[in-house]
Amino acid sequence: MLFKNVFRTLKKQYTQLLLLGVIITLSSFIYTAMDYGVGGIKVPAEEYFEVANQEDFAISMMDFMLEEDLMYSVLHCMPSEEVYTLSALKDTNSSCYYKIMDHRMSLITGTYSSISIELREYKDIFYDLSGDTHKLRILKENEEINLSFFTKGDAPSIDSEIAVGETYAKLNNLDIGDTLTVEGKDYRISGFVLFPDYSLAILSSGLVFDNETQSLALFTDAEFERISVPVGFHIGGVFDNNLTVKEFETKVLDNYKDSDNMYFVTSILLTEHNMRSGAIYGEIEGGEATGLMLSILIASIAILIVGIMVSKILQSQRGAIGILKSMGYKNSEITLPYVFFIAILAFPALVTGYFLGTLAAEPFKNAFLLFYLLPSGPINQTIGTFFVAVIVPLTFILILGYYIIKRILSQKPVVLLNPQVSSKANFFTKIMGKYLKRLKITRKLQHLLLYRNITKFMVFLIGMFYAAFLILFSFSMVGIMDRTIIDYYDNTDHNYIGYCKYDTVCDLPTGSQETVIELPSALVDDEETYLVGLKTDSKIHKLYDKNNDVTNELENGLIITKSFSLVKGFKIGDTVLLEVGNNSLEIEIVSITTEYSGNKAYIDIDSLSDLLTRSTGYYNTIYSETELSPDNYVIVISTNDIVDQTQRMQTLFDMMMFVTIIVSIVIGAIVVYILTVMTIEDNFYNISLFKVIGYNDKEIDKMIIGGYLIYGIIIFISAIPTAILSFIGLQLLMARMYNVVMPFEFSLWHGVVAIVIYIILFYLGAYVAKRKLSRISLQEAMKMYQI
Amino acid sequence: MSIKLEDVSKIYVMGEVETHAVKKATLEIKKGEFVVLLGPSGSGKSTMLNICSGLDNPTSGVITIDGEVISDMNSKELTKFRRDNLGFIFQQYNLLQTLNVKENVEVGREVSLLPFTVAEVIEQVGLTPQIDKYPFQLSGGEQQRVSIARAVVKNPKIMFCDEPTGALDEDTAKEVLGILQKLNKMYETTIILITHNPSIGSMADRIIKLNSGEVVEDYQNKTKLDASEISWG
Ligand SMILES: Nc1ncnc2c1ncn2[C@@H]1O[C@H](COP(=O)(O)OP(=O)(O)OP(=O)(O)O)[C@@H](O)[C@H]1O
Ligand SMILES: [Mg+2]
Repeated sequence: MLFKNVFRTLKKQYTQLLLLGVIITLSSFIYTAMDYGVGGIKVPAEEYFEVANQEDFAISMMDFMLEEDLMYSVLHCMPSEEVYTLSALKDTNSSCYYKIMDHRMSLITGTYSSISIELREYKDIFYDLSGDTHKLRILKENEEINLSFFTKGDAPSIDSEIAVGETYAKLNNLDIGDTLTVEGKDYRISGFVLFPDYSLAILSSGLVFDNETQSLALFTDAEFERISVPVGFHIGGVFDNNLTVKEFETKVLDNYKDSDNMYFVTSILLTEHNMRSGAIYGEIEGGEATGLMLSILIASIAILIVGIMVSKILQSQRGAIGILKSMGYKNSEITLPYVFFIAILAFPALVTGYFLGTLAAEPFKNAFLLFYLLPSGPINQTIGTFFVAVIVPLTFILILGYYIIKRILSQKPVVLLNPQVSSKANFFTKIMGKYLKRLKITRKLQHLLLYRNITKFMVFLIGMFYAAFLILFSFSMVGIMDRTIIDYYDNTDHNYIGYCKYDTVCDLPTGSQETVIELPSALVDDEETYLVGLKTDSKIHKLYDKNNDVTNELENGLIITKSFSLVKGFKIGDTVLLEVGNNSLEIEIVSITTEYSGNKAYIDIDSLSDLLTRSTGYYNTIYSETELSPDNYVIVISTNDIVDQTQRMQTLFDMMMFVTIIVSIVIGAIVVYILTVMTIEDNFYNISLFKVIGYNDKEIDKMIIGGYLIYGIIIFISAIPTAILSFIGLQLLMARMYNVVMPFEFSLWHGVVAIVIYIILFYLGAYVAKRKLSRISLQEAMKMYQI
Repeated sequence: MSIKLEDVSKIYVMGEVETHAVKKATLEIKKGEFVVLLGPSGSGKSTMLNICSGLDNPTSGVITIDGEVISDMNSKELTKFRRDNLGFIFQQYNLLQTLNVKENVEVGREVSLLPFTVAEVIEQVGLTPQIDKYPFQLSGGEQQRVSIARAVVKNPKIMFCDEPTGALDEDTAKEVLGILQKLNKMYETTIILITHNPSIGSMADRIIKLNSGEVVEDYQNKTKLDASEISWG
């Protein structure tokens, strides 16, 4: 009998229950999809890194020939001409280059024991494939660390063979045996290769890791040396058996900057902190954590709603329950049907979510592998995942439901037979008392109906706040990728960048061209930075703080990017030590430019030239509005190509973002809707009574719906500052912990749209609820009055 | 205000079962009349009252109040009509649990054309000491008096009372009935009152008895008594 009663009560709420089901399904879906998707990458990735002996840390070093290097070279190999960089030295005197390299490396191993290191050399070449400029980073095969790994085919055995990445090949419809024409020479693709130090194809300073127009590649050693492009290098290292990460951190990371022997080192990064090699670790952890967090978040809303619904249903039946209790029913007999039906509802929803999640895991994994250069493996279902996705939330929902029921039932029958009203002056009534006194009863009711039942009101407020936050959060993520990369190129007018050759003097700038110094490895307070020397009156590379042109602030000091400031915590007014090669300079940070990619710093070109050469006029790069002839430069880069590349990569990101945003908005909307419907239904009896007395619909709306609407709007407005603060917090956290800058942005229209969405949903919910209520006749309503 | 019923029937259909709660009732209640509806439980008293007051629609028949056909009105017009003319007291007290005594009465006053003052009416029903209490802090009789005050404060032209004294002791019941009688005398308020207690009929102008949905008796009371004089039985 009791089962029937509970069943009928629930049946009346079927829309809400259905929406609740959607939320519960989503929570197990997200967890399952993320967990299996990430798992399908994690296991094969770990094997691959083991087999290919992935570096545990990477050392970046200066290309400049520093004083020590020069002294060493004078003693051991005496370079014939005057060269300033090691890459230039390799072209002219390769053995001298290797001697200096060996010297640098022996300084490292001499200073720090229990590590093995190996030089990693690469050359970047550009070539045309079906009309687009593509970039290949040719890595030289190593012997111990960061070995090549073939997902298909073999390593090049002759000079006219090349191995490229499988993702790149797929995206460009290339297969083994096909031919690529690079720098006028035909190469046959011999295999698909992966390198463990590049799990992400970050081949430039920007955060571009598009796999359609760039790839890692492998030549034979001879062919590698033959290609006449300046060499790039870093050092990969692994720990010996007895060294732990902790020891490495204290022994090496904490003091290499102070060590004189490490004069040439710009940074030492553990793989897990290194985007190009270790981002995948963060991604896997992050993916697992995000999946768990998101689903906990969603499940907690679901649990919250279950709690509200259960207590609402019970409250509306307190009279009946009181009578059952007074008749001698045991608590467990009354509880059982509720718990039974909660389980009946939640279990299929969770299982559906799990099942859909397993289906989504494969495409999810493949989306990952469009970015990450990793071998792919099959997805295996596990008991553990099922347990976390289905059993754990089910248990929670049941426990919470049981707890609420238990609490209500533990009251004495006589208490249950009376309605629950807080007559005690509470916080709100005290504050509002004076104000309310002067109002007409209708106005007064608007507030009183809410304040006098503080628990329900609080639930309403908390739920709405949650929804508001979720919606605002989603909005602030819109266009996050644009802000990260594209905005920078949109705000600047240099369409081409030409890097000057070492041996010849760079062209003098004409008309729309400007001289620039770009130094990839400068240090700001020992933090590695990409330093750019700009003219203080630059016309084609202006710097903006929000919308204000701050370019001429360069006259007063250093301007850093927003991301550099977030990641390293530099502020305007800080005085920092700028180190470039052997030279250094104390300089004040005068402005922060709204640029979200890379740890960059801008300085007045004249000061930088003076620092480097003791005279003005030095430059190594030309920024130009018009096209530059590739003959006169080492490389000419078109910023449009970068933007194109970024946009390609962005579509996928945008899609993921879009899904996240839609999911958040849907959940927010469901919360608003359910709470509204429940709130109005809660007032079902009041509404009927007002009607009987002769209040018209307008007045009733004003009293009951109006009150909630007002408070809902207040909540949405007050959620705005909270949301902004938490975005700032989150941004800082991400920046400091993961070196990733999330440019959340809040603008007024986000708030306005959120409130409009809220009002629409509110009226929709109110309309639905009222229609449901109007089906019950007034006289029946009057009879339903309990107590 | 006068009320006219012509061939009014109410049939509740629940699946296969049809309940004829009111069968072809035809009667007229004059302005200022104090009518008592008597009849056994389930005889259709409440149904009749609800139909007369426009809370529910008849299945067939015409109801006219002061020349206006309320059985044709839509819900908006009915609301307006109730607001300007009618007062209700129910078997259940139907109070707003979140409002105290004074506020509950104010709810009635707010929508009236010529209301009485709240304090006056509360004094009349003898609840002045309880004015700031909430419904759950009152006894059943006190709650019923609040709901009477809420109806009375509107100064309605017709009062519909469904067992207003069912839960009250003799003295309190007489006081409450006295209030209604006073209202009836002073303002010519038409009153229709349902009760199980036949002795209350002695204070009415007219007594209508129902049985199984049919009017079985309808007569004027020649020896009308004051509420305080009723011999409670
Ligand atoms: N909403 C309804 N649906 C179906 N049948 C109803 C409904 N309301 C009342 N009835 C039936 O109509 C008949 C008359 O009911 P009504 O409430 O008018 O009786 P009453 O004379 O007021 O009884 P009481 O003195 O016990 O209050 C009863 O048989 C009842 O079962
Ligand atoms: Mg009745």
